[in-house]
Amino acid sequence: MTTYLTEDDIYRTSTQYRLWSFTPESLAALREQTHAAAIERAKKYLGHGNGTTGHSDGANGNCEGDGTVADCLTAEEELRLVQRYADQIRTTSDFFKWPVNVKATAVQYLHRFYLSNSTLTYPPRETYKCALFLASKTEGVHMTLSEYARRISTDAQLILAPEYKIIQALRFTLDVRQPFRGLKGALMELLNIAAGRGAVPQHSRTGKTGAELQTLMAELPGVADGDRSTWAAPAGAAAADPRVLADRAHVAYGVARQILDAPALLTDVYFLFTPPQIYFGALMLADSVLAGFYLSTKLALESPVRGKVLATIGACRDMLGAWSPQGVMSKEERAGLEARLERCRDPTTRDLVGAMAAEKRGGGDEGALDDGVAKRRKLEREKSMKEGEDLFGPSLPTVGNAA
Amino acid sequence: MAVSNGLPSSEPPLVNQAEQLDQQERQKYVKGKKLGSGQYADVFSAHLVSDPSKLVAIKKIKVGPEVAEWGISHDSLREIKFLQELSHPNIIRLHSVFSTKSQNLNLVLEHLPQGDLLKLIQDVENIHYGPSDIKAWMAMLSRAVWFCHENFVLHRDIKPNNLLIAANGEIKLADFGLARSFADPYAHMTYNTITKWYRPPELYYQASFYSGAVDVWSVGCVFAELVQRKVFLPAMPDTDINMIGIISSTIGTPTEDNWPGVSKLRGYVPVEKKDVTPVKRKDQWEAEFRAVGPVGADLLMKMFALDPRKRLTARQILEHEWWTTDPKPSRLEDLPRKGGGLETMGEDLKRRGGELPSLGRGDKVARKLDFSTMK
Repeated sequence: MTTYLTEDDIYRTSTQYRLWSFTPESLAALREQTHAAAIERAKKYLGHGNGTTGHSDGANGNCEGDGTVADCLTAEEELRLVQRYADQIRTTSDFFKWPVNVKATAVQYLHRFYLSNSTLTYPPRETYKCALFLASKTEGVHMTLSEYARRISTDAQLILAPEYKIIQALRFTLDVRQPFRGLKGALMELLNIAAGRGAVPQHSRTGKTGAELQTLMAELPGVADGDRSTWAAPAGAAAADPRVLADRAHVAYGVARQILDAPALLTDVYFLFTPPQIYFGALMLADSVLAGFYLSTKLALESPVRGKVLATIGACRDMLGAWSPQGVMSKEERAGLEARLERCRDPTTRDLVGAMAAEKRGGGDEGALDDGVAKRRKLEREKSMKEGEDLFGPSLPTVGNAA
Repeated sequence: MAVSNGLPSSEPPLVNQAEQLDQQERQKYVKGKKLGSGQYADVFSAHLVSDPSKLVAIKKIKVGPEVAEWGISHDSLREIKFLQELSHPNIIRLHSVFSTKSQNLNLVLEHLPQGDLLKLIQDVENIHYGPSDIKAWMAMLSRAVWFCHENFVLHRDIKPNNLLIAANGEIKLADFGLARSFADPYAHMTYNTITKWYRPPELYYQASFYSGAVDVWSVGCVFAELVQRKVFLPAMPDTDINMIGIISSTIGTPTEDNWPGVSKLRGYVPVEKKDVTPVKRKDQWEAEFRAVGPVGADLLMKMFALDPRKRLTARQILEHEWWTTDPKPSRLEDLPRKGGGLETMGEDLKRRGGELPSLGRGDKVARKLDFSTMK
């Protein structure tokens, strides 16, 4: 009669699962589609293909006109450029000392945006600052646009211009589920096990007592060859010393946490795996022996889904493990790509600030407004702005990140 | 994807799938009558093009003076972010969001034509309800709050006029403009949140770390208000010091004895021994809230524990024995209705979080000041 939702059921109601989870094939197909559409457009505005005679649209005016379809970035280059800017978001977020959830959300916004948009249409150099600012708002950091703009020495209007394009491409879904808290939880549980408080028998999924779990942890072999944890049992210390066990958990956590920061944000794992699979993948890469032990406290060895779970975590670990910092595009490579991009980009999206202002003035599909209406709106806006200031005084600088 | 080459050259072609989806969504609805208009949003009645009997409400968010400083406002982003994720029968459903070319965000919300709980509470003349009805409404509210907390969302603005009523009588928690996710340990949160009369003492004492207990206090305020048919903690004017005063005199003065650590909170105001009001005893709660019986009074009392650590959690509320004590909660179809509530929905949705409904007094400035400090 009563049906209970499992954690999995609840996850499946999330927008991350419903709209932003893919198989490797479907993800690749989607990117290919977006790229192909951009190339088709480029053929028109670059004056090649489809028998059209270039851009007779003097309205767009500022098309460079010296590009050819051959200049267009390949799908592979587009993806690498986006990843380069994902890395740029990390650097910028760290510059503001924002919490990791802001950074992770912003990076996913960027990745999600470029599933339906091509870099040829919106070069990431012009979108990434907005993606980060948007994430700062949705993750509850309160920095004003003017302060943000000042600190990264960018014009505020340029930052804001793509905001609507971004949330539209995000399909108005703003929540990004992340693996960081899960990893922290794993650390806390491992520390409890190390201290002998690992399981209250009636709640234990393994049927083992805290003392038994502690013994099992103490009997684990050392860090496996190829794993990234630098932990080694100190010479002379008793293997069962709770401090030694705790130390192993701390080191594994620290390494996994680094993996969640770089490879996890710079690969496709968020599109392909769930947050728990991602943090388990990271933990496996750090210390597979410890991670396997931890998993066994959650999932009985005889569980029918164990093979499948392990295979999925393994695939995630492999993807995280295959990433290397050398793979991130160099400054020179980026400069080369962007010079080409400049020649072949879509001219209609070049002036985003102007386009945004034009749309705000009320053109578009609601029917162009006549000057009278536009003027009245402007006056209303100014009045409302002025009233706001009269009441509150000018805005104060925001202190701290409390939200 | 087939790229359409046949578009007339005068119109910019839709660049991509996201824009197409947005447009499709926009074209699904026919906007009707304006139900309400506020500084923050306009609310329209609307229906599906494909089926005029399928009604929705469209909340069109206004581009206000803060846009230059913030871009899309925090309130709008929060509301969209959380409602997109929360799917529960007692939480207002966000069917979709679309933008219009003039860059307004339009939220397509569930159609809730029966007004809000405040209207029922205030209409003492015409609306009569009893303990079974209160129990039914409180059960729906409690489930909604539990579901939010289970999904790590703090609502932070629970009050009767944010509880809308559906055509079938169901209660729907609305207005997530002040909501946020549970913070990580040691991450500060603002204490300047929740409409004043529904705000718990820890926030007046400027606690930066808090939990679902803040919402539970507000739930308690709604519960008491339903029973008494008047605001439970109405300080006038609603300054912080007056609010601490009314909480102390009504429920008890927070002290180190009943709330260990309270004096360490930044905004704590020491109280002289002679001015301390002892915490309201159980028999006093029972006498004051006879209508819901001793078991109901017990639940209410525990929602008003001064120390947030001792307050019931949303889950503990659902586990309380009041729900299974006689009388049974009313069935939906038996709940009293007010009708004519569409305009109320318009009124409710256009407001910004933290605002009180107009009380007919010249309180406009006070309300403006109130929300200006909200984050």
